[in-house]
Amino acid sequence: MLVRLLRRYGTLIGFALILAFFWARLPDTFMTPRNWLNITQQLSMLTVVAAGMTIVMVMGDFDLSVGSMASLSGIVAAMLFVAGYPVWAAVGVALLVGLMGGLFNGAMVSLVGILPFVATLATLTMYSGAAFVVSGGKTISGRAIPEQFGNFARDGIVLGPVSVPNLTIVAVLVVAFVWVLLEQTTFGRRLYAIGGNLEAAYLSGVPVRRLKLVAFSLTGISAAGAGLLYASRVASANPTQGSGLMLNAIAAVFLGMTMSEQGEPRILATVVGVLILGVLDNGLTQLSIDSYIRQILVGAIIVVAVAASSITRSVRR
Amino acid sequence: MPFLSLANVAKSFSGVPALRGVDLTVASGEIHALMGENGAGKSTLIKILAGVVVPDAATIRIDDRPVVIDGPLTAQRLGLRFIHQELNVVPALSVAENIVLGRPYPRQFGVLIDWRRLNAIAREALERLGITHIDPREKVGRLTTGDRMLVRISSAFLSDSGAPARLYVMDEPTAALTREESERLFAVLREIRGQGNSVLYVSHRIDEVMALCDRATVLRDGRAIDSGRLSDITHDDLVALMIGRKVSEAYPRPMAAPSDEVAYEGHGLAVHRGEILGIAGLSGAGQTALLRRIFGRPAQAWSRGIAYVPKDRRSEGLVTIRPIYENITLPHLHDQSLGGIWLAPNREQLFAATLGRNVRLSAKGPGQRAIELSGGNQQKVVFAKALGGSPRLLLLDEPTRGVDVGAKFDIYALLREMTANGMAVILASSDLPEVLAMSDRIAVMREGAIATIVTAAGLSEESLLNLCYGRAVARAA
Repeated sequence: MLVRLLRRYGTLIGFALILAFFWARLPDTFMTPRNWLNITQQLSMLTVVAAGMTIVMVMGDFDLSVGSMASLSGIVAAMLFVAGYPVWAAVGVALLVGLMGGLFNGAMVSLVGILPFVATLATLTMYSGAAFVVSGGKTISGRAIPEQFGNFARDGIVLGPVSVPNLTIVAVLVVAFVWVLLEQTTFGRRLYAIGGNLEAAYLSGVPVRRLKLVAFSLTGISAAGAGLLYASRVASANPTQGSGLMLNAIAAVFLGMTMSEQGEPRILATVVGVLILGVLDNGLTQLSIDSYIRQILVGAIIVVAVAASSITRSVRR
Repeated sequence: MPFLSLANVAKSFSGVPALRGVDLTVASGEIHALMGENGAGKSTLIKILAGVVVPDAATIRIDDRPVVIDGPLTAQRLGLRFIHQELNVVPALSVAENIVLGRPYPRQFGVLIDWRRLNAIAREALERLGITHIDPREKVGRLTTGDRMLVRISSAFLSDSGAPARLYVMDEPTAALTREESERLFAVLREIRGQGNSVLYVSHRIDEVMALCDRATVLRDGRAIDSGRLSDITHDDLVALMIGRKVSEAYPRPMAAPSDEVAYEGHGLAVHRGEILGIAGLSGAGQTALLRRIFGRPAQAWSRGIAYVPKDRRSEGLVTIRPIYENITLPHLHDQSLGGIWLAPNREQLFAATLGRNVRLSAKGPGQRAIELSGGNQQKVVFAKALGGSPRLLLLDEPTRGVDVGAKFDIYALLREMTANGMAVILASSDLPEVLAMSDRIAVMREGAIATIVTAAGLSEESLLNLCYGRAVARAA
C-alpha cells in the first residue's frame, strides 16, 4: 500500500518538498503572487512545447526537432517583419511552417517508417540549418521587430490586484486545449491505444498513420508557437534561441509519466513536470546558486524520480 | 521414494493468495501432470520451483533432503529444467545462441566464441527431438511460432556436464506445436521417464495429458484439490475436478443449421450465414495470413461488419494497460462517442458491460485494466470487442489457445449462439478436436493455400490430419 502510494504520488511529494524548502529559505520572495506570475511567464514557452511533446509521447514517439522548430519559427516571423509584413501574417506563416515541419516529421515516421528518434534527429539539424540560412546567421532585433509583437509578451490581463501575463494565459489555453484533446476526444483515446499497443490498435481499426501525421503536426505547431512566444518575450529572434526547449520538454513529460500508474504521459502530469523544472530554476537562481550546479540538480532529480517509480514498480511485481 | 516433494506451499501477491498450502510430490521416473484452470496457481508454483518467485512458506525436498531454491541457478544445480509458457526467445539471435542462452558459450583459446562447436551443440539438442529442418545458424526471428517453441524446448535438452537434469518442468509446451511435433516431444519425455528422470507437465489439453502422464495433481483456487493416478479417472471427471462443476459435453451442439445465403466470398472460400468454417493445417501453413487477407485493411473491415480475434491476444488483441471498456469499444469508438469526436465514457461502459455479460466475462468492472485478468477472461474481452458491432463475419485465429476449460466452453457456447443468429464464423485452430467438433465444413491449408474443403461431419481426427499432411500421405501411398 505504501509502495503504491509512493509510486503514485512520489513525484508530487517531491515537488511539495521542493516548494517547502524554497519557501523556508526564501520566506519573503518565493511564495508571492508576483514571483509565481513570474515563474508561469518564464515557463510559458516550455509549457507549450511540453504540451505538444506530450501528444506524440502518448503514442510512444518522440519529437527531438521541437527546439530547432521554435528557433526557425521565430526567425521566419522576424524575417517577415523585416520584409514589412504585418504581425498577423508573419505569425500565421510561422505557425504554418511549424505545421509543415511537424507534418514532415509525421510523414517520415508513419509513411516512410523511420524511427521517430532518428527521423526527428535528422529534422532537428535540418530545421536548425534552415533557421541559419533564412536569417543569414544573424540575430534580428531592435526596430525590425514591431512594437505590437514585443508588447504582447509584456502585457497582461488585469485581474484584481495582479496582471496575469499574456504568455501565461496562452500557456494555460494550450494546456486546456491539449487536455480536452487527449482526455475527452476519440482522437486522444486512439493515441493512447496506439501508445499502449500499436498492433492491437491497428487491428482494431485505428487509423494509425493518419493519427501519427496529425499528432506530429500538432507538436510542430506547438513548437512554432513556443518560438513565437519566445521571440515576443525577448523582442528578437536568433537561430539558436529555442535550442534548450527540447530536452526540458522531454524531461517534463518523463517527470509527469512517473506520476501515472501505467507510466503513460498525461498532460496535467506534464504540467507538474514543467512546474518542478521551473520552480527549481527560479528558487536556485534566487538563492544565487551557480547555473551549472542547477543543471546537475535538475538531471539528478529526473533520474531519482524515474528510478523511484521503476523501483517501486518492480517491488510490486 | 519421491524425487521432489513440496509441502504447504503458500504465496500471496499484494494480499491476494495465489497458493494456499499446496502439497505436490513427483516420483522418480514419472510424468506428472499439473492441471487447473488459468489462475489456479500453476504458474506461481512453477515459478517458485524455478527460483523466480520467493514463496511465503514452503517445505521443498529433493531426494528427501530439504532444499532452498533461491534463484534460477540453484534450480539448475538441483537438476531442474524449465520450459516456460511464454515464448521467451531472442529473435535477433541465432537458433544456436538461443539454445545455449544463459549458459557459457564454448570458447576458443578461452576468448573467442567457438561458433562451430556452439552450432554442433545446438544441433545435437535439436536432434534429440528429431528436428532436422531447423538450421542452428538461422535467426530465430525468421522461424515460425511452432519452430520457435521447438527451439525453446530443445534448450532444456542440452547435454550438461555439471548438474545432470532430474526433472523437466514443461508449461504448455505443445500450445504452438503441430501434432507431429508434439508426438516427437512426447517420445522424448517417455524416454526421459524410462531413464528414471521425471517430468512435471502442465497443459490444458486433457486428451494429451490422459495419454502421456502417469499421475496428475489438480489445482483450484490455489489449493491442491486432488492427486492420483490418471488410469483411475475419466476425462470428464478430470474436467469436473478442474472447474469444480460438471460439464456434460466439451462442445455444445449447434442450435440451428447454417443457411444457404452466402455471408462472405473471396480468397478461395465462401462462408454462409450461420456457418462455422474451420481452417486446419500444420503450423505455418498460412492460416494467419489467410485470415489477414480476408480481414484486409482493419478500419474498412470493421465498418464492413468483419471482426477479427487475432492469434496472440497480448501482442495483437489487447491494449493491456488500458481498461476493459476502452479495449471493447476501440473498434466501435465512432458509434459509441458523441458525433465520433467526443468521448462518452458512461455510454461506453454500458456498452462494454452488456457485451461483457454476453461473453460471461468475470471482472471487477469495465474500468478494470485488461492486464489484471486471467488468460481466459482476457480472451473474453477480445471476443466482446469483436462482437461489439454485431459483425456478419467473425474471423478467429486460435481462439481458445491458453484458455482454461471453463472459459473455453463459454466461448464455444457463445459461437453457437452467434451463428444461430446468422453470424458466419471462420475458425482457424491447431486444436483438431475443436475444429472437428465446432465446424460445419473445414478448409485444409497446405503451404499457404487452401488445398481442399471438406464437410466436418463424420470426419475423423486421423483423416483430417492426413489431409493436413497431404503430400506426405500421397507419397506414402
